Amino acid sequence: MFLNELKKGDQANIVRITDDLFRTKLLEMGIMPGTLITLFFKAPFNGPIAFSYENSLLSIRKEDANNILVEKMMHHK
Amino acid sequence: MKIAIFGNPNTGKSTIFNLLTGLRQKIGNFPGVTVEKKSGVIKLNNEEHELIDVPGIYSIYPSNQEEKVVYDLLVSSHDNERPELGILVVDASNLTRGLFLFSQLIDCGIPLVLVINMNDLAEKNGICIDLDLLKSTYNNTPIVLMNARVGLGKDRLLSALNNQINLLTTEPIQVSNHQISLDDLSGQEHEAFKRHESISNVVNKVVKRSTKSPRLNALDHWLTHPIIGYLIFMVILFVIFQFVFSFASYPMDLIEKGFEWLTNVIKGFLTEGPLSELICEGIIPGISGVLVFIPQIGILFFFIALLEDSGYLARAVFLMDRLVRPFGLNGRSVVPLLSSMACAIPGIMATRGIPNYKERIITIFVAPLMSCSARIPVFTLLIGLVIPKMKLFGFIHLQGMVLFSLYVLGIVSALFNAWIMHLILKNEKRSYYLMEIPDFKRPLWRNIFFTVYEKIKVFTTEAGGIILAISIVLWALASYGPTEKRREAIQLLKNTRTYKLKSIEEKEGLENAILLENSYIGIVGKGIEPLIKPIGYDWKIGIALITSFAAREVFVGSLSTIYATEGTGNDLRLTERLKNQKRPDGTLIFSLRTGISLMVFYVYAMQCISTLSIVKRETKSWKWPLLQVMVFGFMAYTGAWICFNI
Repeated sequence: MFLNELKKGDQANIVRITDDLFRTKLLEMGIMPGTLITLFFKAPFNGPIAFSYENSLLSIRKEDANNILVEKMMHHK
Repeated sequence: MKIAIFGNPNTGKSTIFNLLTGLRQKIGNFPGVTVEKKSGVIKLNNEEHELIDVPGIYSIYPSNQEEKVVYDLLVSSHDNERPELGILVVDASNLTRGLFLFSQLIDCGIPLVLVINMNDLAEKNGICIDLDLLKSTYNNTPIVLMNARVGLGKDRLLSALNNQINLLTTEPIQVSNHQISLDDLSGQEHEAFKRHESISNVVNKVVKRSTKSPRLNALDHWLTHPIIGYLIFMVILFVIFQFVFSFASYPMDLIEKGFEWLTNVIKGFLTEGPLSELICEGIIPGISGVLVFIPQIGILFFFIALLEDSGYLARAVFLMDRLVRPFGLNGRSVVPLLSSMACAIPGIMATRGIPNYKERIITIFVAPLMSCSARIPVFTLLIGLVIPKMKLFGFIHLQGMVLFSLYVLGIVSALFNAWIMHLILKNEKRSYYLMEIPDFKRPLWRNIFFTVYEKIKVFTTEAGGIILAISIVLWALASYGPTEKRREAIQLLKNTRTYKLKSIEEKEGLENAILLENSYIGIVGKGIEPLIKPIGYDWKIGIALITSFAAREVFVGSLSTIYATEGTGNDLRLTERLKNQKRPDGTLIFSLRTGISLMVFYVYAMQCISTLSIVKRETKSWKWPLLQVMVFGFMAYTGAWICFNI
């Protein structure tokens, strides 16, 4: 599934980032396949989303979130 | 020596910068670009060095114009700009990201002092850094623990800098310039992977963390709530504008009264003549016209800095981004546009935080359409003149409704313009909205003070000079004219019967009106009459339009002089007097149509020279201010024409 499809509070591992430039940018920030993220908020009307990783909270736009493939962690609230 | 201070965003870089330099700061631009360069003086080993604050970055490979500054600085297309020593500020909670930048900078050949900041917060979050191990891993770089917000570790940083400088002077470092090209994305990606591999080895050894669940606190739950979040933002805006508009009026009155008093004092000292007039009617009103805006600008930036330093602003940007994006704007455009409702100058200055060039240009372009406070006196006068005091449906004040509509017209037009530009302008490079949302912090008064101080300083030096210069030029044009012509006109007036019957005070008023009519500015006003007749104005209004170029509110004072009202400043009398003005054919000059036409004209027209100069400064080109004059001028004229002729 894509990062954008997660619900508030969901945890997931990043699987793949499809856009080249975006992948490089995120990699430089330490976000890469295997990084554990938690979805924190979603702005209404398909606005940006915010997710946490390590100790930061990062917000990105929805269409960019659609470039991020994730695997949702089960049994986690 | 040039010392640069690097770091990821939100690591406390600016706090450390303020701590080290104090008030010895200078604002400028990085060579060739509009990105703000803040530099200050730092004293080490009894020698003065230049400390440069560079934009916060995650990597030296830039993703926007602002970040490119750092790359240029390092790979230096400008050799004398290259820093010889760097301070890298790293957030202790996020060592991985900091060390990534660290390894890039070291490879660029910049000797560094590494600052691990906000260690207290990290420990609270269950993160423990083994400093000794870290030091032995990077034994060429001094590492300093700091907690900059409370000023802890400043001495340690200073002595580490001292040591580095001593070392550098004895054995200068070889600059290696191994760099991957900016376009080589896969090369950058490969490099990033390799760096992360070695960094994760270090971090795994150095950082001990006790597992903790992610911190979604209750505050954030409400502040970013899809409904409540917006309501809270609205309330905050309401409070800010309440302060900006109502409470700023006290210091503003005080400033105006102070300068009135000063004028009277100077008039008492100087004998009447050109010098006294220049000072009392040209220079002092000019200075007063600049200073009177400072309370609003100060209050506004106090709140913006407060919101920013506490961490709330990032949440507001997050909420607003979606709403303004269809218009080619960014979540970060919201605060600058709102600031423009006080004054476009600080508003445009605040656009520097917008990372995307296109979104920033659009924001700057449309900012002057937001109704600024200088328009309020103009609107108030015109509404009082032509809109009847009546209530719609028994409870809506028609006059208030009209004022409100003018604000809405400004906002709607700004969005419409933004949308058009969004369709026309091309993005030079794909960019991302990637924004870190910082933790909430107790705001640091020192940081807020520096922001307010800096904005006021920029306003008074940049805009102030222009407002002052224009006030003096306009005063000269209004006070002088062809001598012969003026004398004849006065003679003619004195021979009229109506003049002879007036009181001394009224005579003086009539004389002043005639003198203004025959001044250079009056000649220009008459010259443009054919141009403004189709939109319902006569040459007298023309004069007032021209004088508005100093600042829009001057319109009121000019009308008051030209219509020879005695006792200036008495609005009621001015309104009464203007209401009875008639054209040669007997119809009212300030008819409903002319009034509305004027209001619409003032909503659009780009009459503020200081705004234009700030736009030029911020965009580094005359293209945008000229375009503003033309586009907004066209809108003003057509809008006014439609209102007058329909």
